[in-house]
Amino acid sequence: MKRTKLTKALVACLAAAMAVSVAGCGGGGGQQSSAPAADNNAPAADNAPAADNNAPAADNKGGDVTISFMGWEASPLETDAVKNGISIFESENPGVKVSYTPSLSGAEYTAKLLSTVAGDSTPDVMFMQSTDYRMFASRGVLTEVTDKFSEEFSLDDFVDSARQIMEIDGHVFGIQSCIVTPVLYYNKDIFDAAGIPYPSASEAMQWEDFRQLCIKLTTDDVYGCYGQEVVSTSLNAFLQSNGAAMYTDDMNTCTVNSPEAIEVLNAIRDLRIVDNAAPDATTLENIGMSANQMLQTGRVAMLIDGSWALQELASIGFPVDMAPIPYFKTPTNIAQAHLHCISARSPHQDESWEFLKFLSGMNYQGALVKSGLWMPNRISMYEDAAVNEWFDPAVHGSYKQMLGYFKDAKVQVSALQKSSQCSDILTEETDKFFKDGQATEATVENLQTRINEVLERLASEG
Amino acid sequence: MANAVAAPAKSKKRSKLQNDTGWAVLMLGPNLLGFLLFMLGPVVATLFLSFTEYDLIAPLKFIGLQNYIEMFQDEIVGQTLLNTFIYTILTVPVGMCLSLILAVLLDQDLAIRRFYRAVYFLPSITSMVAVAVVWQWIYNPEFGLLNYVFSVVGLPQMKWLSSSSTSLISIAIVGIWKSLGYNMLLFLSGLQGISTTYYEASELDGANKLQQFWYVTVPMLRPTIFFVFVMSIISSFQVFDSVMLMTKGGPGRSSSVLVHYLYQNAFQYFRMGYACAIAYLLFAVVLIITLCNMRFEKKMRDIY
Repeated sequence: MKRTKLTKALVACLAAAMAVSVAGCGGGGGQQSSAPAADNNAPAADNAPAADNNAPAADNKGGDVTISFMGWEASPLETDAVKNGISIFESENPGVKVSYTPSLSGAEYTAKLLSTVAGDSTPDVMFMQSTDYRMFASRGVLTEVTDKFSEEFSLDDFVDSARQIMEIDGHVFGIQSCIVTPVLYYNKDIFDAAGIPYPSASEAMQWEDFRQLCIKLTTDDVYGCYGQEVVSTSLNAFLQSNGAAMYTDDMNTCTVNSPEAIEVLNAIRDLRIVDNAAPDATTLENIGMSANQMLQTGRVAMLIDGSWALQELASIGFPVDMAPIPYFKTPTNIAQAHLHCISARSPHQDESWEFLKFLSGMNYQGALVKSGLWMPNRISMYEDAAVNEWFDPAVHGSYKQMLGYFKDAKVQVSALQKSSQCSDILTEETDKFFKDGQATEATVENLQTRINEVLERLASEG
Repeated sequence: MANAVAAPAKSKKRSKLQNDTGWAVLMLGPNLLGFLLFMLGPVVATLFLSFTEYDLIAPLKFIGLQNYIEMFQDEIVGQTLLNTFIYTILTVPVGMCLSLILAVLLDQDLAIRRFYRAVYFLPSITSMVAVAVVWQWIYNPEFGLLNYVFSVVGLPQMKWLSSSSTSLISIAIVGIWKSLGYNMLLFLSGLQGISTTYYEASELDGANKLQQFWYVTVPMLRPTIFFVFVMSIISSFQVFDSVMLMTKGGPGRSSSVLVHYLYQNAFQYFRMGYACAIAYLLFAVVLIITLCNMRFEKKMRDIY
């Protein structure tokens, strides 16, 4: 009898153990084997660079060195640009090959990178999201390149936002790829049809003017603007322009619970709810279009999106132009971008550094700037002679009048945050605000309380 | 003389036994090794890591029960655990009932029952990624099939995945649909193990089809029902892929489940130790439910 009970208890334990071990592995669906397979593909791909790292003998056959390089595929155009860049680098550096592994972007990229680090298969050179840079650097994953960097570059030549992101207490662990900032795109045809003058590229609009413009442009078929509710792109710029701050300067405390922040959130939401001049926050998934397609097809007259959208917009072939995003009290723009970093465990430090330099040069960064995907992060590239090298009127439209808008952008504070959990909390709470009608006061209060709890925990962990 | 005969027989028997033991070890060995390496090892390692602060990179630091203390104070753990329970309650009973009904229907002598069996089993062998893409379109508020059907029958249009009130239900519907065929197959095999003599006897006693189902099929299927029930509960507590692919836990945390939060802590927030503590919470919940199930099953066995 006792034995039966023991057997039963053991069976129950094993059933639960099965649950915990499968869950612990990050897989899913006990019965549905195909599903975990999809998840488990990622670590398999992660291991690809390991072959390069762990087999230098094979790589060095005939004197060749293969550098593994991991990034993400933001768009097919970007992947093509990366591959073109690699071809140029390989032709300029005989004996050095680059094995590129494009991956998912965002939080999935962080997860993938972390698993490569844990599995000792970190790629030699990698894209590093600005939001993750400090976390990986503080854990010794990245090679410090301060000295090499000083020999080749001057930190003073980098725009403020880039410098603040790259430098951690006087140390540099990677080179920022470029800068990307929020931009107001507009479809000129819709403005022409409505007989409304285009927004100024040299002077940003105040929010009230922007609101009135959206109302004027809105018809039965067209909304004034889309994208102002995508918090990751522009919310921090709006907050800063109204004198609200997401964090204190030392990034140790969240200070978003302020009347200024409440005013900003209310204004953004009211444009949709009260003025009916902006589509629902879920419009993209509802109509199965990208934001660019909505602008192109005239579903929206204006679009607030990242500067990276220009490459695709310029290639679609419709009359599009750009202007600075609106502001509340002070014109404000924010910038950030991913960095290129070398793994501290890479056996090919010299070759990786050469590649890193290449990625910051005109053949790579310059080419992507020319295509409209990136904006330069070096002050010297905003000087007249340099601008003429990358500026293409067919692509960049009114950008020449907006150079100061990019160059003087403030740093996007999420790039300096101490944990990506802070960004996730921002997304969760603003989701509740924009999609579920959570009160503004509750939203900023929850944001501040929850983010500060995370920051306190991080401080206590040292 | 008799002893002389008995002795070789005993020795032969012992030798056979030894041979059997050898074979048993040989046959079970690989499985046992796999179990130790890939099941018991991670389970023990997870327990150990749950008492540490570990980010997969820096050396781990022993912090005692700190992760567990924090976990019981973490509102998101409570919320995701509640979501997991809701998902289980939504998927397991409905999924089992539908699977059983399907199995009974397809156990009949239909001309194209093999075809239907294959059709209902297809979702189980389809990649969750493909399933998620298709269902995202079905759930599309403007062009989706489901809202179209709703509009035809005069029901209100729903925002399925993009509303916090319907996101979890939407994921549960996909879960039910995907596991339907697998459970149906298990029930079918159970049904085919029931001797027809029971049905013939009950028919002679004047039982109609419904009575036969309640008083013959269900009791005779009890072991299969119990197995499907336990496995479905374990599976529903592990749900992750559909959440990750279709909503990423949103809007807000409305469709985030315990394993999704575990994953975020482990691979996005650099908190493997805390994630392991959450894994053990999952372990405890599944253990308790499985023990309750076993007790319930014993009571059922006593009744029938």
